[in-house]
Amino acid sequence: MRRTLPIAVVTGMGLFMLVQYFIPLEEFETLYEWVLDWTMVIGCFAMLLGLYSLTTMMVTKVKRKAPGWGYSLVALAGLFFMVFVGVVPHYQDSLKYGTLFMDLFEYIYIPIQAAMFSLLAFYIASAAYRAFRARTILATILLLSAIIIMLRLVPLGPLSGINQWLVNFILTVPNMAAKRAFWLGVGLGATATALKIMLGIERGYMGRD
Amino acid sequence: MSGEVVGLWIGGILTLGIFSFIYKDNPFYKFSEALFVGVSAGYWFVVTFWQYFLPKLIDNLVLAYTVLTVEGKIDYHWVYLLGGGLGILMLLRLFPSVGWLSRWSLAFIVGTTAGLQFTRYLESNGIIQVKGTILSLFVWGDLNSTIGNIVIVVGTFCGLIYFFFSKEHKGAFGGAARVGVWFLMITFGALFGYTVMSRMSLLIGRMDFLFGNWLGLIK
Amino acid sequence: MKDKDSHWTRVLSLFLFVFVSLFLGMQTCLAQEAEQAEALQDSLAQPPAPPTNVVAKDAPNDNGHALLVIWTLSADDGAGQNNVVSYQILRSDSPDGEFEVRGLVPAGENTYKDKGAKEKEDANYLPPHKDFYYKVRVRSDGIFSDSEVSLPAHAYGQWYHTGKTAVLLAVLIFSTFALVFITVARKGKKLYIRPLAGIEAVDEAIGRATEMGKPILYILGLGSADMIATIASFTILSRVAKKTAEYQTPILIPCCDPIVMAVAQETVRAAYLEAGRPDDYKQENIYYLTSMQFAYVAGVNGIMIREKPATNFYLGKFYAESLLLAETGSLAGSIQISGTDEIAQIPFFVAATDYTLIGEELYAASAYLGREPVLLGTLKGQDWAKALVMIFLILGALAATFHFQFFLNLFKVQL
Repeated sequence: MRRTLPIAVVTGMGLFMLVQYFIPLEEFETLYEWVLDWTMVIGCFAMLLGLYSLTTMMVTKVKRKAPGWGYSLVALAGLFFMVFVGVVPHYQDSLKYGTLFMDLFEYIYIPIQAAMFSLLAFYIASAAYRAFRARTILATILLLSAIIIMLRLVPLGPLSGINQWLVNFILTVPNMAAKRAFWLGVGLGATATALKIMLGIERGYMGRD
Repeated sequence: MSGEVVGLWIGGILTLGIFSFIYKDNPFYKFSEALFVGVSAGYWFVVTFWQYFLPKLIDNLVLAYTVLTVEGKIDYHWVYLLGGGLGILMLLRLFPSVGWLSRWSLAFIVGTTAGLQFTRYLESNGIIQVKGTILSLFVWGDLNSTIGNIVIVVGTFCGLIYFFFSKEHKGAFGGAARVGVWFLMITFGALFGYTVMSRMSLLIGRMDFLFGNWLGLIK
Repeated sequence: MKDKDSHWTRVLSLFLFVFVSLFLGMQTCLAQEAEQAEALQDSLAQPPAPPTNVVAKDAPNDNGHALLVIWTLSADDGAGQNNVVSYQILRSDSPDGEFEVRGLVPAGENTYKDKGAKEKEDANYLPPHKDFYYKVRVRSDGIFSDSEVSLPAHAYGQWYHTGKTAVLLAVLIFSTFALVFITVARKGKKLYIRPLAGIEAVDEAIGRATEMGKPILYILGLGSADMIATIASFTILSRVAKKTAEYQTPILIPCCDPIVMAVAQETVRAAYLEAGRPDDYKQENIYYLTSMQFAYVAGVNGIMIREKPATNFYLGKFYAESLLLAETGSLAGSIQISGTDEIAQIPFFVAATDYTLIGEELYAASAYLGREPVLLGTLKGQDWAKALVMIFLILGALAATFHFQFFLNLFKVQL
């Protein structure tokens, strides 16, 4: 019962969403919008669960004086201070620029996010070094293709024309073919997974007692 | 010292903290990471509260209540109680004895996803891709297009053979699968090369922030 | 001499005077003629011929708040006076009432969809089952003429969207293939699937973690529970978690979404129960970190560097952060198995991880790991659907080469 009824809910909701796709009636459109809204509402409540999980993990670290517990204090301080200044003082104004909440976002979150993103420049170089050693035919093809595309913005003098033609050819022909095959495969795979979920064939995610 | 200057200094120092990770893990990076995780989790909670929880649930229920008390009618907005109920069931996970009730909410989300994506993927990744690959193998007077179309059809065909799970990649079948892998490798190389420049520009942007906006060394 | 000079000067001056007068006179005459011609033209301008056969009917395949207006083009549209600029569509709720402008289409077009809002409070609300009358006004530089008023038409919703028939057929065909092979599998027939390097490495990777006494890190990606790639990752997680339960290897699952965290907890708990080790299940190993992309990555990188997991799994929906995760894991010395359906991230996983499940292989992985007949049957159904797609590609290419348009029309989807 504890597992059977949820599986029935999965199948029921799956069939409803499948059928409503083909029915343009206003009533079905409204039901579809309600279902999507309820999903968002569930997500909002789940956010409380997430915060509880994060807080519990960090508080446990602090209590046990586990290695790095001081940093957990920093994270907790950041978390609760943001929540406090975001929810308490302003009614829906905290998301406007100029408030303390948005200042913290702008001067702490944005610079760190940009710095993390820019780390990719270093990592892409080290990944390229490892991947482009051309030890196999496949690695060679990958390397050549990447080099041709990377050179597209570089002035190569007399070779620019040939390179541009190659870039254009690669992007419009083999690239398109491989992407189509990839997307077709993903489409069939995703559809099969959805079908398995709806038929209750895959039910590991539903838990067990 | 204006708030903006203080903010720039904080941003600059935290940026250096993140960059220090390239050398090795260190207390400076750990502090920046911990602050980042805490601030971002708090930010997301606040945004969820103001932009989803209040308008999607509370505002709808308040509207329904207002219609009931003022006009004495039962408004359709009361259906959002169902959503709220499913949300509360999620919170019951915090109580082990009744935590199993949260499976109803999870089932609702997973089932909705499965039904929605079933048709979406068949349409966008199936039918539309097949339609796009139906190309003429001979274009009169245009050799480029003829060769291009043949290569696209052959490449797509061989790529699909590579993703075939029911047959071993041997003989002619294996040869076609190999051709498919070559096409995939060309694409992966192209995607890799395409991304390199954009990643470099991100780093240039950060250098500009550090040496320009923060330290004022670049005008 | 002087007399001769003054004589020629007089002649020249006279000549110049006559020439200039003639020139000015000619200009004036020409201008007058042009004015007269224009005035004549204006007095002769006729409004363009009105459009005919205006028909209003319910717009098909919609929710009942739109009407379709069709008419025959004005005789002066591209012919006759050839002075049509546009058509204005007007609507009223009675044939003699006041008509309001609903839309404008350029010359040459003979259809218009009058789409209204479905909310009663909206100013553009178009109620279903209410009769409306239309007329079409043809316009040409300030002059116009109106068509006859159409017969009444009312909007109503349809029970079936005919434009999505191709999708319905695809659903039926795919489901048939899957159900047939599930039945075949349930009858006990052995179904062959070719080996996949990434899947074969899973056992070895978990064994390595057990030998080293280090945990396994499982990243479900940045997708939420409403993404099919994340759900596919849950199906793989249940099998991986069962193996880690059997080997008594800890598994760490930091999550980017609280609902994903909840489902992951249920999945792992069920796996430990199935493996007969319910006491080894530790809920605190499956936790929420943050929902923001790079903050999540920063946190996971910290876990990788400090906990030093022996094996990392990256299976699900990934974006730009894929390379950050994979490279950090590589620096930490972990064996890494990745898989995503985001083609843009596959090159980075291929470059930085030991094994990569490319696209559809991610969705097939649960069948490979579980080897349950029903799952293998679904995989077979998938392959048969793929074979059908390949047949369609060949037939379609031939049809396009020989200009058989009907084949292309089979794949039309109207939304």
